[in-house]
Amino acid sequence: MVTGEKKKVINRLKSMHPLRAKVNETYLKSIEAINAGKPAAWAMLNFYYGDPIMKAMDVEVVYPENYGAVAAALGVAQQYLEQAYADGFPTHLCGYSLAGIGYTSKMMREFKGEVPPESPFGGMPKPLFLLSSSAICDARYKWFQALGRYMDVPVWQLESSSPGVNELLIEGASKAMVNMGVKHLKDFVVFLEGILGKKMDWARLEETVDLMLEINRVWYEVNDLRQAKPCPMHSRDFWSAMPAALFMAGDLKDSLQLYRNMYQEVKDRVNDHIGAIPEEKYRLLFAELPPWHSLGFFDKLAERGWNFVIESFGYHPPIPLDLSRISDPLERITRFNLQFFVGYAEDARQKNVPGRSFAYPYIKFATEWKCDGAMLHPLISCRSASTHLPYVANTLIENLKVPSLTIEGDIVDLRLFNPEDALAKAEPFEETMEHYKRVRKQEGFDW
Amino acid sequence: MSDKGMSKAQDIYLNRSQRAKELKAAGKKIIGYPCVYVPVEMLTALDLVPYRTYGDIKEPVTETDRALPTSFCSIMRTCLDCALKGKDDFLDGMVTAHSCDPQEKTSRVWESYAAYPYFQYIDMPTTVRPEAIEYFKSQLNDFRKTLEAFTGKKLIADKLKSAIEAHNQQRTLVQQLYQLTKPAPPLISGTELVQVVKALMSLPVAEGNELLSQVIDEVKSRTDGPKKKAARLLIWSSTLGDTGIMQLFESKANVVMDETCGGIRAYRGSVKPTADPLDGLADYYLKEITCARTFRQADLGEIRKDYAKDIKSRFGYLKGIVKEWKINGAVLLLVRYCDPFAFEMPSLKDYLDSIGIPSTYIEYDYNLGALAPLKTRAEAFIETIS
Amino acid sequence: MRQSVNNTTPGANLYFAGIDIGSTMTKVVLTDTTDRVLSAIKGPTGPEHRRLANEVMVMALEQAGLRLDDICYIIATGYGRVNVPFADDQITELSCHARGVYSLFPNVRTAVDIGGQDAKCMKIEKGKLVDFVMNDKCAAGTGRFLEVTAATLGIKLEDMGDTSLKATKKIQISNLCTIFAQQEVVALLSRGEKLEDIVAGLHDALASRVAALARRLKVEPDVVLTGGVAKNTGMVKAMKEDLGCELLVPEEPLLTGAMGAAILAREIYMKASAEGETISTKPRRLERATFFS
Repeated sequence: MVTGEKKKVINRLKSMHPLRAKVNETYLKSIEAINAGKPAAWAMLNFYYGDPIMKAMDVEVVYPENYGAVAAALGVAQQYLEQAYADGFPTHLCGYSLAGIGYTSKMMREFKGEVPPESPFGGMPKPLFLLSSSAICDARYKWFQALGRYMDVPVWQLESSSPGVNELLIEGASKAMVNMGVKHLKDFVVFLEGILGKKMDWARLEETVDLMLEINRVWYEVNDLRQAKPCPMHSRDFWSAMPAALFMAGDLKDSLQLYRNMYQEVKDRVNDHIGAIPEEKYRLLFAELPPWHSLGFFDKLAERGWNFVIESFGYHPPIPLDLSRISDPLERITRFNLQFFVGYAEDARQKNVPGRSFAYPYIKFATEWKCDGAMLHPLISCRSASTHLPYVANTLIENLKVPSLTIEGDIVDLRLFNPEDALAKAEPFEETMEHYKRVRKQEGFDW
Repeated sequence: MSDKGMSKAQDIYLNRSQRAKELKAAGKKIIGYPCVYVPVEMLTALDLVPYRTYGDIKEPVTETDRALPTSFCSIMRTCLDCALKGKDDFLDGMVTAHSCDPQEKTSRVWESYAAYPYFQYIDMPTTVRPEAIEYFKSQLNDFRKTLEAFTGKKLIADKLKSAIEAHNQQRTLVQQLYQLTKPAPPLISGTELVQVVKALMSLPVAEGNELLSQVIDEVKSRTDGPKKKAARLLIWSSTLGDTGIMQLFESKANVVMDETCGGIRAYRGSVKPTADPLDGLADYYLKEITCARTFRQADLGEIRKDYAKDIKSRFGYLKGIVKEWKINGAVLLLVRYCDPFAFEMPSLKDYLDSIGIPSTYIEYDYNLGALAPLKTRAEAFIETIS
Repeated sequence: MRQSVNNTTPGANLYFAGIDIGSTMTKVVLTDTTDRVLSAIKGPTGPEHRRLANEVMVMALEQAGLRLDDICYIIATGYGRVNVPFADDQITELSCHARGVYSLFPNVRTAVDIGGQDAKCMKIEKGKLVDFVMNDKCAAGTGRFLEVTAATLGIKLEDMGDTSLKATKKIQISNLCTIFAQQEVVALLSRGEKLEDIVAGLHDALASRVAALARRLKVEPDVVLTGGVAKNTGMVKAMKEDLGCELLVPEEPLLTGAMGAAILAREIYMKASAEGETISTKPRRLERATFFS
């Protein structure tokens, strides 16, 4: 584990702090509220699809994937993993799911449904229902189903579509996706009404959706500003500020203001040519999940002039959509959610990058944010976040002459990420980046 | 009665692309598919020959590493490896489905690296809710459109209905074949079932049905069937297309039911006749294929959950099978890195415990090197139930 | 123990053999109807199982004063069990260990076997295997882990256990993989950590992996530790700590598989005799010329 240096090299945004704090505060308030009797759900990250519905119906949402990351960072995940193994779950499964399964097993069997003592952040109280999602990977919808062994809590499995880039072009394909998405949400509302014993407040839903769209629009524009040279905002600030939008944390009006503040601060930096690090020698792209427990590692790289200017599109807000002519809030939600998956498809198809939308955005990002290199972080137990990375590396070097550096890690077995090892690779990689700067110049690229 | 049918099936098993290549030389188009979720009726209806790709457990995977990581479904890895090595170059097309992540992720790479004249990826929802079935139907409709563009022919409802009948006939025949493992000892071995099913998946449906009828008649009257063993096993797995795997169990046990994609999984039930045949197909494929990837509940949208009821609704179909086939042990055979089966397995084990059937879970890689450790585990389990 | 016998008369002395061909060692045990050990021989397996299996068998017969023809039934077990042409049947090492351990410890319910190249845990009920888990994919959960790290540290493998017992400080080896653990060990040394503490840390790391494997079954006493690694007193201590229970260790932890095989050979043969069933046997012939032929 890399300990933070006294002198912080990365020039953090002031506006980041309240956004970062908001997520923790929201979580703690949530736990308090749940302990006081408010209805609680455990949900997968669902990319703006189920969250606005639950928010409008005043459900407190806990995200076991996040809890897995927290548990890992605080060193308590291992006991949950071991519990899951002892319960018979195969060891290759996603680390978050094993941690969640082990936690639930302990909570229900050892502690009779009470949060195990010494669980960080108040743990995850037993929920009223579970919301799974098939978006991104299989584990995310099979995991909650498997929890049935420990607790009789109903599961709603949120559907998602993931058509092929070419298949999306077929006439009617988009419409069919939207149709399913809207009908599915209607049924989800009925499910919630049944569980919660109250009706949906549609006016409140409309307001929630409007705020969600606006927050993401502003947040999208903040990230667009990062194309400037020098880049005014480091990935560390992105990762700190992102959860509030992605998880629709807390009061949305408050969030909107905080993102607007961030926009202003970043815009001011752009105008004044202020970068996130003192001397920006290299602009880097980071793919996929960062090593949450070891973020001080980026400060060491910043000392060497590495500015991380853009990161995995999976955390980024979808490309903004004009939904003004859609009156049905369920349809607005559906289209916005689908935008996350298919927003880059048309571009990908035109540029003939067929490796699914998971790979294409990196081409766009590397080009528009003028990246000198990519740092790829494959995670051994998360195949969804890792499988496409060799393809990304190949595509970046072949199409854009942008080299990649691969540093392995894992989502819960943090021992696999070795910061010293990573730093040792930094120096030779700088030479590689310098070399390809020259190659790009020769080949007529504009960065 | 001669054993022409069974030996023909075994010949096809050993040299399975031969018939497809003959048909291709005679002007037919051959379309590959790696997964039993692909509605082959639609291919048959347009006079295309469906050809199931299995990869090859004996072929060391050497080409796939440039596209897929090592910690990844070994079945998809071998399928892609064979494609990259040109082993299925006789295929005019490939159809994949979003049955699982590895297939979805491999599809994209497969499509770009192995330039088939025709490629289609069918998206699939995870549940069997009405809107999910509707969406799946629209995907099948899109599949129809691209097939029509590829063949230059319209897929008319009557032709599709005939194709459905022919494939339903095959399902009925396969179910009859599996009745022949009920006696003690069974009249046909698990190894032979793998060979017969693989042969079926290498032939046009009509030829397959003819072969099957022959095999069934022969097996019914044979006197040289498998020897009786104390253990009668159910094997639950994903793709199992090599007799080498089955033989590990059959030196000491009789495998009387193989709930796998190289066994009965593609042949349960039958497609119902519907006015629009795509409705029947969408309904059948999403609901009847008993693969762990589909999210099932005791009651759709239930607001109350009961685990015992849940696992009974998901796995209860096995109770009758266990009883009728006098199964006394189940092997839950997982290909490493298969998430849907891995999450499913503990609940299936709970269900089997509840009906008093001993079971074991064995994990392996779908390659030749994995067979030795698999043998020890298989035999040790058989020893515990003998 | 030596026992010389004359030509057997039918129904008089009956002898049985178990041969366990492991990845590193081949073991043979000969018994009679009372299950007492008439001879027990260990030899290295080497690359040619068949030849060396014959040699070990020859030595065992010699020690007991028997001929191959005297042996009524022979069971082969272990990873090389299919390569024993004179064996009448093969049974997995899991069932054989279970039976062998039971003959030494009649209250055993859980057995943990840590070998050079694999680790196995067995649930046992009255000597019968009822459940099991195995690790043979990852070296870090087997004896190999200690072998490799011992070499890195320049210590003899047989001294690792004693060294670990001298530790005064707990060190956690963080690397999952044997290869990286070697690097970590070097780094720890250069950081000034004491050799004993590092070695104890390595034992704890191996113990935690094997214990995690064992916990997939319910670990119930009596718990017996076998396999080559059971001779390592440091490992016995580390396993006791991790499992949180007493461990019984046989005097000859390498022989339980062959012993179990011999006893099972006896049981199968006697059962068939009692029920009047014929039992098929293989030709009593070793490939090379033997002392007795």
